[in-house]
Amino acid sequence: MMVVLLGATTLVLVAVAPWVLSAAAGGKNLKSPQKVEVDIIDDNFILRWNRSDESVGNVTFSFDYQKTGMDNWIKLSGCQNITSTKCNFSSLKLNVYEEIKLRIRAEKENTSSWYEVDSFTPFRKAQIGPPEVHLEAEDKAIVIHISPGTKDSVMWALDGLSFTYSLVIWKNSSGVEERIENIYSRHKIYKLSPETTYCLKVKAALLTSWKIGVYSPVHCIKTTVENELPPPENIEVSVQNQNYVLKWDYTYANMTFQVQWLHAFLKRNPGNHLYKWKQIPDCENVKTTQCVFPQNVFQKGIYLLRVQASDGNNTSFWSEEIKFDTEIQVFNIRSLSDSFHIYIGAPKQSGNTPVIQDYPLIYEIIFWENTSNAERKIIEKKTDVTVPNLKPLTVYCVKARAHTMDEKLNKSSVFSDAVCEKTKPGNTSKIWLIVGICIALFALPFVIYAAKVFLRCINYVFFPSLKPSSSIDEYFSEQPLKNLLLSTSEEQIEKCFIIENISTIATVEETNQTDEDHKKYSSQTSQDSGNYSNEDESESKTSEELQQDFV
Amino acid sequence: MSTKPDMIQKCLWLEILMGIFIAGTLSLDCNLLNVHLRRVTWQNLRHLSSMSNSFPVECLRENIAFELPQEFLQYTQPMKRDIKKAFYEMSLQAFNIFSQHTFKYWKERHLKQIQIGLDQQAEYLNQCLEEDKNENEDMKEMKENEMKPSEARVPQLSSLELRRYFHRIDNFLKEKKYSDCAWEIVRVEIRRCLYYFYKFTALFRRK
Repeated sequence: MMVVLLGATTLVLVAVAPWVLSAAAGGKNLKSPQKVEVDIIDDNFILRWNRSDESVGNVTFSFDYQKTGMDNWIKLSGCQNITSTKCNFSSLKLNVYEEIKLRIRAEKENTSSWYEVDSFTPFRKAQIGPPEVHLEAEDKAIVIHISPGTKDSVMWALDGLSFTYSLVIWKNSSGVEERIENIYSRHKIYKLSPETTYCLKVKAALLTSWKIGVYSPVHCIKTTVENELPPPENIEVSVQNQNYVLKWDYTYANMTFQVQWLHAFLKRNPGNHLYKWKQIPDCENVKTTQCVFPQNVFQKGIYLLRVQASDGNNTSFWSEEIKFDTEIQVFNIRSLSDSFHIYIGAPKQSGNTPVIQDYPLIYEIIFWENTSNAERKIIEKKTDVTVPNLKPLTVYCVKARAHTMDEKLNKSSVFSDAVCEKTKPGNTSKIWLIVGICIALFALPFVIYAAKVFLRCINYVFFPSLKPSSSIDEYFSEQPLKNLLLSTSEEQIEKCFIIENISTIATVEETNQTDEDHKKYSSQTSQDSGNYSNEDESESKTSEELQQDFV
Repeated sequence: MSTKPDMIQKCLWLEILMGIFIAGTLSLDCNLLNVHLRRVTWQNLRHLSSMSNSFPVECLRENIAFELPQEFLQYTQPMKRDIKKAFYEMSLQAFNIFSQHTFKYWKERHLKQIQIGLDQQAEYLNQCLEEDKNENEDMKEMKENEMKPSEARVPQLSSLELRRYFHRIDNFLKEKKYSDCAWEIVRVEIRRCLYYFYKFTALFRRK
């Protein structure tokens, strides 16, 4: 009896023991955190989570990661046994374009189960960190040098030159903000006031990946005292006889100037060793506000030009950089006749092959009286322009250049050569009217003819006639052959010509048979529309007969 | 027998003329820009071809498949904007590759030409995308994306695939330590990629 009681108690104790022990240990099983947030800024991965159970203290957390496609989990260094609810890591050699998975568990004396975080692609989650900004001040301009926040980043390894930046600039005193979007890493802001403090902040963007970064800290700089010599302004390029003519304006006289150029594509890549402004030899130390250099100095491409003035002791700051595209070339103007009818012709390249205009252009036409210098400017969309209200019997000179209609594209050609013509005497309007009517009457038959031809074309293409061509009639005058080539409206019966009469080879009985068969065939042909079935039948018959022969 | 071909020729000429006239009046701004884009792209293809006389035979051994993502072919009506974006991305990536590493393998003249060309190409595509952005609601979408948490952003599968492709190319160059053969293989690959996108520029013209 006692033994039984003892046995029962032992059993009960054994059954209850684990439960008691765990109760003594302080409780329920550890639960892993249920929510983990992953933030990525440049190369830094920041993980944040919440404790699953606030009451349990002294819990540490550990992370593992797994690349998709692999089976093993790897310990995440930098995030092992973390006491807080946040950890950073950045030293992984990962392919940022491949998905990875993370898992977390809580640890105390025992460990909780793993909680797997949803897999993600690091690049998709990554944000662009604040860029580095370096400023240089001039009197009325600020030069901005921007570079990515993290050098040799793993996340942005492919994007070294793809970043575009945008900035917000304001005067420290007024606080009125101005936004500038879509700029490259070397940018200059003009038209500022001297001796003023300007503050700005910059953020980077990767537009094709829909990423906009965070703003850099605010940088402030004070512009310098106004320089004695202002920079040259209104730089323009035009063409004369296989040379480029560069002209600019300057307020003071007796200055020497120099001109520098740069490949436009280097703006994307300022770190390049080629990023050096180079002198144009023909424009070094010129005394006039213009300089001439041959066209072959520049190979085909887009360039930037800038001019600087000097009076021997002091130099001005560099002028605004103008974009100069060798591809949009010069236009020729031909003044057709009196009262100034200007026809802007297609531009010619050096090989005398016309350049196709690929984008809509507007034309800026400047004309002036040869004697005076007062210029008048008109802007036209057409290449055929009539300038009204001119003085009769005066010599006017005209030059033109093209601009792309799209302001964003912002391309302009160089000015064409100036063409001078004398206007005709007045009262030409009546003459023009008569001439106009005559031309219209003269042109009318041509227009009608052209329309007719066009309609004929349309009819030929879309509504072809069913009549046979006349040339077929020429060559095939015989009716039967003609019918062979064309399908006619009524079916014609063809007489069947027997090529070989097999009946002579076969036996008498069969001869009779074949005769009958032939009769059958001929009666059939009158109903058959084609020759093909007939031939097949005769062929099969002859082969049978031949077989019989050989048997 | 000889009158009909003449007729066809005449018709063709007239038809083409009418076609150009109609096309000229209907397609403005960005669409007309695409003709220039095609020309610049074609020039770049020629530059890439002329950079080397011929592909060195000994480099054939090292050739690997980079697997250019061809998913645009799967779409029956590919989104013009997606292709333009991918093309823009491709232009920048190609520009990146040819700009960043200094190497003496090719003449500087060739390098400059290809960089000028790729920059121009990227510039035109950027202008077009900017224009489209202002026309459509994309600006709002972009701002919304800015504020959303990163996961909820609009998935750009094709952009990621393209990036993986260029990552493979970049890795290949690094592994081969920028050898001459590696550069030759990359040049041919980029030319292939550019030609693939060049074919799509024909789609941009239709509205």
